[in-house]
This record gives sequence, structure tokens and C-alpha cells, in this order.
Amino acid sequence: MVEVTIDPTTRIEGHHGTELEIEDGTVTEAKSMMKMFRGAEIITVGRTPRDAAQLTGTVCGVCFLCHRLCSSKAAEDAARNASAFDGPPANAVLTRDASEGIFYLWNHAIHLFALVGPDYSDAVAGTGFDRLDPLEGDGYMGALESQRKIMNALAEFGGRSPHPLSYVPGGLATRPDASTIEAVRSRVREVSNWLGPTEAVPEVLENVQNGTFDPELGEGLHDIVSILVAAAREGAADIGQGPNRYYSNGIFEDPETDELFFPRGVYRNGSVELLSKAEVVDGITEDTEYAWYTDDSGGSPTEAKPPEPEPDKEAAYSWGKAPRFDGESMEVGPLARLVIADMDPFNLREELGGGPAESNTLNRLVARAQETLLVRDQVLEWLDAIDPADPFMSDDWPAAFTGEGVGLFEPSRGALSHYMDVQDGTIERYQIITPTLWNIGPRDGAGDPSILEEAVVGDDVDDIENPLGVMRTIRSFDPCLACGVHVRSPDAEYETVIEPVKPGSAECLVETDG
Amino acid sequence: MTAAETRTEQRRTDRDPGRGPTRRNFLQLAAGATAGTVITRYASDIAHALERTTAGDMEVVWLQGQSCSGCTISVLQGQYPTLEETLREFRLDVTFHPTIMPEQGDAAIDAMSAAPDVLIVEGSVPTEIPSAATVGRTADGGSKSVYDWVQELAPESEYVIGLGNCASFGGWPAAENKERLYDLGSNVTGAKGLQFEQQDQPGVLGPDFTSGVGLPVINLGGCPPHPDYLLLTIATVLNGHVPELDEYNRPKPFYEPLVHDNCPLRGYFDRGEFAEKPGGEGCLIKQGCAGPYTHCDDQSRLWNDGTSVCLNVGAPCIGCMEPGFWDRFQPFDAEVERQSFAGPITPEQAGWIGLAGAGIGIGAHVARKLTGYGSFENDEDSIGSGESAETDGKERSE
Repeated sequence: MVEVTIDPTTRIEGHHGTELEIEDGTVTEAKSMMKMFRGAEIITVGRTPRDAAQLTGTVCGVCFLCHRLCSSKAAEDAARNASAFDGPPANAVLTRDASEGIFYLWNHAIHLFALVGPDYSDAVAGTGFDRLDPLEGDGYMGALESQRKIMNALAEFGGRSPHPLSYVPGGLATRPDASTIEAVRSRVREVSNWLGPTEAVPEVLENVQNGTFDPELGEGLHDIVSILVAAAREGAADIGQGPNRYYSNGIFEDPETDELFFPRGVYRNGSVELLSKAEVVDGITEDTEYAWYTDDSGGSPTEAKPPEPEPDKEAAYSWGKAPRFDGESMEVGPLARLVIADMDPFNLREELGGGPAESNTLNRLVARAQETLLVRDQVLEWLDAIDPADPFMSDDWPAAFTGEGVGLFEPSRGALSHYMDVQDGTIERYQIITPTLWNIGPRDGAGDPSILEEAVVGDDVDDIENPLGVMRTIRSFDPCLACGVHVRSPDAEYETVIEPVKPGSAECLVETDG
Repeated sequence: MTAAETRTEQRRTDRDPGRGPTRRNFLQLAAGATAGTVITRYASDIAHALERTTAGDMEVVWLQGQSCSGCTISVLQGQYPTLEETLREFRLDVTFHPTIMPEQGDAAIDAMSAAPDVLIVEGSVPTEIPSAATVGRTADGGSKSVYDWVQELAPESEYVIGLGNCASFGGWPAAENKERLYDLGSNVTGAKGLQFEQQDQPGVLGPDFTSGVGLPVINLGGCPPHPDYLLLTIATVLNGHVPELDEYNRPKPFYEPLVHDNCPLRGYFDRGEFAEKPGGEGCLIKQGCAGPYTHCDDQSRLWNDGTSVCLNVGAPCIGCMEPGFWDRFQPFDAEVERQSFAGPITPEQAGWIGLAGAGIGIGAHVARKLTGYGSFENDEDSIGSGESAETDGKERSE
């Protein structure tokens, strides 16, 4: 049996590994292994809902805003269920929408340019798109600069980025005045100008395909479209094919109507099902058969105990649990959101990716690019709707209450949910299900693979020393982990040596830091 | 001696801090000036200085233990200089960083310097469950723990930097298992900092550890730390200066100023006006502000290109720069009680105490806080109580 290990994968966030079995140059089986455990839920028990937002808010320094907001929503839900709270003020809802929208822009830019972009650059893959070259390409450098500007916008509300402090259960601790909101607006506008006009997409697509560059149509847009064109040319539509099952919690609430800009629901058997919050919660279970947690740690997240570690568990291979919806794996992320929202701006997925609802490596990138434009166009509206004269913090956030709550949220990487039971103001039980668990968790007890484990099966591995296609697929999910790939093949024990792209040069080594 | 060892030995000699060129200590500079001037003067100075002192590429290894990657993202926001400028101008060769490097798998591990000039660790190191953070493989094909990586690399490194509260003091993963779930003890995975576990030594490297240049682990607390803290510290050490460290081995210029002394809401405190809810008007001490016990210069340095800082947005300081952060200051929305003021009493404060003593409202309480005891609510109970004395013992002395 050939065993090739690529650990860590790098250029994704966190610790993760994947083991591949390969026969006749094709992946026949994959195991996705999360390689870090901290005990977030265990540590959260015994604390206050306010502190849960702080503690779980720092679960991730890349997705630094979403856990804080999701935990706050769970706390608010619990307080509301206890009839102790009426809900956050409209200004808080709008500011959270705008902030998370800005976060989408930041995260998608980081992902497209810094994490997956290099895989399609001239320097790394010989695609001819040298603007994408790490640290040297003008496109890459422009994205680095833009990510800083957009982070500065977030710091206006949060005090600092990453790990802002002003978002709390009950609303917002900060009271941004008109000039602060204008400062945010102008920073967003600046980045928006870099990105370019949405309606220019068809023209830019033509330009990129013809090898011309018109900065008037947006440098950012040109470079993002370049990534998509390069990926299409490299055959990304033919790899990483998932089961075409999607799930989204929906996001961006209208404070007046509670309507969501991206709707909540699932897509399966070829059609969209819009679901209520209760229907979503009812459908979710977690399985720990192949996780380093005791077998009784799984079940419904509204009832399961905080995961109890069992590091020596024989059959296990991941610190992640296996979440399922009605027993099935579900893909989450920008592609899931746009499929469920029935949006395919400029028919890019139809024309480049084999169909708007097709799960593949290219469509994940296309959807991320499409969503960047869609959200950019909304953020300024949400900012405009904030009225600094109205309150940002509710008057009735209760210090102590008894209740159970669920926060459903939909950050950039996909569906996120937090579950808390509160007794007299103290948390008795806590659960978190992250988007990365949905996409790249382990198998479930029935032996059914996660989305990633399924998506790489059938992919060709031409060069066992450098399974570039597999790496591109893993990165297309924008997983929040650092990753390793173990490759097994029935032929022989095999030690891989992967040639670095540009060994040893500082220029090369910062390629993904945008 | 291999060529690589010779090269390392040569560098060691070149950068003996005692023999470094007499240049401005950038950390002192950072401490003494306002943010704008520090930054402006610093950027040109540093490039110039490093041209002289840097004979070649400095190899950097950046390990992540139990980390959220927030320190990496924070450093990416550095603006004067930016990270990319730092890498270029300091001629840093980051031979390993899980998030930013191009290589993957064994190539990533192979690229990693075995004797780096600077070892940066982000995230805590689990000691009870070492498999809770692994990177790459051991010789027999198993997962290699970050604990083993640290033990292996740190003694070979010229400088070791604990980046963030987790790597410095244990931080988030070391926060208390309050209900003692599953008999896991207080610290679920045995998460420690490199040389500290909260306020106490040792961490995973032991109290006597020194890196190649004879320094302990340089701790840059914070959740996350300000990007300048890392970039300026690297500039300082590579420029041949020895940063002056406090008792938790944090560079003093960054970690000496007391948040409370430079708080934008200080006027409210002085007038005895306290916010009654998050976002309310007034000093945030009753909302759990840890500013009187927390040291960093962010109030003047500001975050994200001078955009803002925690206390500007109605958020009480949570004490993230300090050892013991998480449990020492939580619950974060309740007034922090019975801890001593951790810095020297400034003339301004002393004058204020005098004023308070002359009969202004809450003066007695505040005077007690300034001298180390008491709370605003229950001053009679807390003054001189055993608990306060005990907590006090863990505090920095004045």
C-alpha cells in the first residue's frame, strides 16, 4: 500500500489532515482529520451568557466576529424564551448585518487572493496570471492593502480587528455617531472602488479571457475573475464534486420584517426547501463514532452534553464531530447560500461550472466571487439604515434568567449554530456546530462520509507526490483549519517529497498572508 | 560542525546583544512617543539599522499550538511597517507558517528551519492531552505534537517569542473547567504557555530556559496582541538590542502603561460617573472594566491604523494582555473586585485621592482601589479580607 503524507496542508486555517487511498490513479476513499482540541464547550459551561459571547467569540481569530454574534443570538433566544427579553434594537440588528457583511468582504478577499489564489497564479501553477503571484503580483498586493482597509472599517465599530469587543448579548455596547458611520461607509466605498462595478462582470470576463486588463472596470474584479478563469481552465469544474445537498441558516435580517437577505433552508433532491428555524434545529444531529469523543457525546445539539474527549478511542480519526441533517451530510458556504437563494449572477455557475447547483471546486470559488459582489452592494444600504439617534443597546437585557436558546447564524464559511441552556444566569450546557464541521468533519456511524470525504473520491491524482487537485478542492471549502493529507495506495509504502513552489524565498513564503 | 551549524554559530556571534551596534532602542522609542511619531520615525530607522546588522536572511519558524490564528490575522493588520515590509526589510525568511506558506505536507516540514533565528509560537501547548495539537508526523508516522516541536526547536532558537496570551500564559484553552466536567481537572487539556502557566512558572519550557542569546521567552500577551508589538520586538532583537522585560517577560515599553491611566473615559472616573449598562454613559468600571489592572499602550497606540481601541467603543477592558486572563477578570460584565492597582500611583491619581479625601462622594472607595483593596459596592466587606490579600499576592507589586 502506498502511503503519502502531506501534513500540514497549509494555506487554510487551523490543524487538519486528510488521508487518501488511491487505486489506479484515482482517489477511492478519504478520511478528513481535524487535529486540534481545546474544549470550547466545556470551558463555556459555568459562565454567564455574556461571557460565552466573549469566550466563544475567540474560538476563531479568522472568523472572529461570527461566533460572538451567534453566541449572542443564542443568549438572546434563551432570554426571550424565558420571557425576560424583547430582542435587540433595530440599530443593533443593522450594525450586526453591516459588520458581518463587511466581514464577508474581508474573508472572501483573503480566501480568494491569499489562500486559493496562489494555486491559480502564474508563479505557482504557470497559468499566466502573474497579477495573482504572491507578494509580487499587483493583484495580490492590492488585495493585501484592501483587506487592511476593510478591517479598519470593522474596527470603527468593534474597537479593534480581529477580536472586537463591542458586540454583546442585548445589542451593541458602542453607540456609533453619524461621523463614525460615515467613516465606515467611506472605507467600504474605497474598497468597493477597488473591487469595481458589479455590472462590469461580463466585460471583465471577456477581457480576462482575451488577456486584456482595464483598471477602469475595477482591479479587484479583474483579478477575482482571473482566478475563476484560471480555475476553469485548470479543470476545477470537474473535481471536488459533492452530493448537491446544501444547507444554509440564512443571514442579514431586515429588522422591520425579520426577512433574511439569504434565506434559510436546504437544497436536496434537486429542489430548494425553505425552512423555519425550528425545522432546521429539529433536523440536526451530531455523530461521534469516528471522533475522539465518547459515543454518548453526540445526538441532538439541543440535548447533547458538551463533547467529552476520549483521545485514545480506537476507531476515531478526528477531533471534529459529524453533523448531519435528517441523517445526511450537507455542504455549507457561499455555494449553498446562493443555491438556496436561487441566485446565479451573470449565469457564471451555469456557464463555467456545469450548472448553478452543481457542487464542484470551481463553483465554490465562483459562488464566493458572486457573493462578494452581492453583499458589497448591500452593506452600504444597511449602514444607511442605521439611525444614530436611536438606541443600540436594549434596556432590558436580563442579568439572570433561566432558559434554553439556539443561535442560528450564517457567517462567510457557512452555517453556524450555538446552543445554550441557562440556569439562573449561568450556562449549564453549550454546543457549537461550525461550518467547517459540516464540510470536512469525519464519517458518521453509518459509515457515510462528510462532504469533503465524498468530494475528493473519484478525483484523479496524476502526481502522487503533488496531488494539486485534491489540495485545490480542500481549499475551495475555505476550511478553517491547517490541514494535512495522507495518501494511501495499494502499491507500496511511499514517502512523498513535495517540491516547494519557490523554496526558501521570503517573497514566496508570504504568498498567502493577505 | 555542519555548514548550517557554522552559519548559525556565526550569526550568534554577529548578533551578540552586548556587541550590537549602538542604535536607538526601538522599544524605548515606542514607549516614549505618541503613536504617529513612533511609527514615522521607526519605519525609516529600522530599515537603515537592519541593513547594517543583517548579514543575510533571518530564519523564522512560526508554530501554531492551540491557537485561533487570531494573532496571525492581527499581525497581518500591521501598517507601520506592514508584515510584508517587515519580511522584506528585515530580510526575514519565514521557513514555516501553517497559514501563509506555499508548501504543504512534508515539504512544509522540510522547509522548516531546525535552528531558527526567531521561533514564534502562537497558541497554547497542551500537556495533558498532547494529541490536542499536532503538526506533521513523527519518524514512525504518527502525529507529532506541538509539545514535541517546541521542546525540539526552542533550545535551537536564538530568540523565542510567545505571541499572544495563549502562547505566553496558557490563555483561552487554559481557562477554567468550572464544573470540572468529565474529571478533566481545571485545565481541560493541560494547556500551558511556553514559560508560564497563568501567573506562575513553569510553562512547557521550564523556568530556567533561555534561548540562544541567553534570553527567556519574550512574552507578547494579548488576545490578540497589537501587531506592532511583534514587529517592533523583532526589529529590536534583530537590531541587537535586548528588550527590557517585566516580571512576566513582556517588553516593558508596551506593557508598562496602565490602561486606566490612558483611558479615554478617565474623565468620567475622576468625576465618579459610572455607566450602568454596556454602552451607557460613564466610566466602565462597574461594567467589569479591567483597565486598572491591565497593562498595554493600546490606548495611545490605537488599533487598525489608528482607527480605534476597545474603550472607545463602550467595551470594558477585559484584561487580555495579562497573565491569568479569562478567569482572573470574569465575569467580564461584573465589577472586578479585590485586586490591587498594578501600576505606580501617578501624581494625578494621588492628587485625586487627596481631593476625594476632602469629601467627594465615592472617594474612600476609590482610594482603597488605588491602594489595592475594596470595591465600590461592598467596601466594608472586602477591605482587608483574607480573599483580597490572597488575590493581592498574585498581583504585581507596586
